[in-house]
Amino acid sequence: MAKKRNRLQVIHDILKVIKEKNGKIKPTHIMYKSNLSHSMMEEYLGELIEKGFVIEKKEAKHKTYTLTEKGFEYLQKYRFITEFSDSFGLTIE
Amino acid sequence: MDISFIPHWFFGLDVIFELAFAIITFLVAMYAFRVSKISGQNQPRLFGWAFIFFSISYLIQSFFNFAVISKVGESICNSIKVQSVSALNALGMYFYMIFFMIGLVTLTYMTLKIRSPKTYLMVLAISLLSIIISLNKIYLFYFLSSLMLIFIVSHYVGNFYNNRKGKTLLVLTAFIFLLFGHIHFLISVNHELFYVIGHFFGLIAYFLILINLILVFKNGKKTK
Repeated sequence: MAKKRNRLQVIHDILKVIKEKNGKIKPTHIMYKSNLSHSMMEEYLGELIEKGFVIEKKEAKHKTYTLTEKGFEYLQKYRFITEFSDSFGLTIE
Repeated sequence: MDISFIPHWFFGLDVIFELAFAIITFLVAMYAFRVSKISGQNQPRLFGWAFIFFSISYLIQSFFNFAVISKVGESICNSIKVQSVSALNALGMYFYMIFFMIGLVTLTYMTLKIRSPKTYLMVLAISLLSIIISLNKIYLFYFLSSLMLIFIVSHYVGNFYNNRKGKTLLVLTAFIFLLFGHIHFLISVNHELFYVIGHFFGLIAYFLILINLILVFKNGKKTK
């Protein structure tokens, strides 16, 4: 059974999905690719926008999301955190 | 502590070794605090504090061992009214044991993954008080530290089993060397060679930790 993702991992997965789509993605794609329910995705996206990791753009009929510089920085910091915690046996919850 | 089991040719070299240990453990602590700050997690913070105490212990040991072989020792002896440099060396060992034990208890507490400050304080008090009141402080210190290192090594065996990578093997090997370094002291109190071997085990352990730290730094900078 796969381990439950922690909060930092979920944020990382959302940002990574946005990054992989060249920084422009619709919410439904984020939901499927980051394996989240609609309500959870809304909650996380709201937080990411508030923290300045993601920008929401409203186009004709739908919304799209792009990664900010801060979002890119988070992805790099997450890599550093996982490298350090994995090797030194630390649990990040 | 009688300094007679430190070989004369090793005077000075041990100071360099301990200074290197202090720097490496300090670097690990700084990285751990950075991880804790970014992630907001408690475990890296505890890990960082454990390594800060290790660093302080090595720094103190290094300073006192330096004082023993230099003229600084005599002036310190005069100013704090200690009879001989041998007593000064014992004082250094005393501080080293206390700070190292605080670090080890913190690290063991972290690896056990329990959230109980009372348990932590109780284990810390038992460890420190038993060393302080013991007639054979050094022997008890190495006995307790070996025991705790066995728990720590078992944690890293589990970590390697769950995450079979070179970096986890490096850290596991480092702690095994630290454990050997402490266990051997139990049978080496009256032998010069074992003091040297203990320092070499420590050197290998901290060298492996340093390699891992460099790899973390390099890989952490990569962008996928």
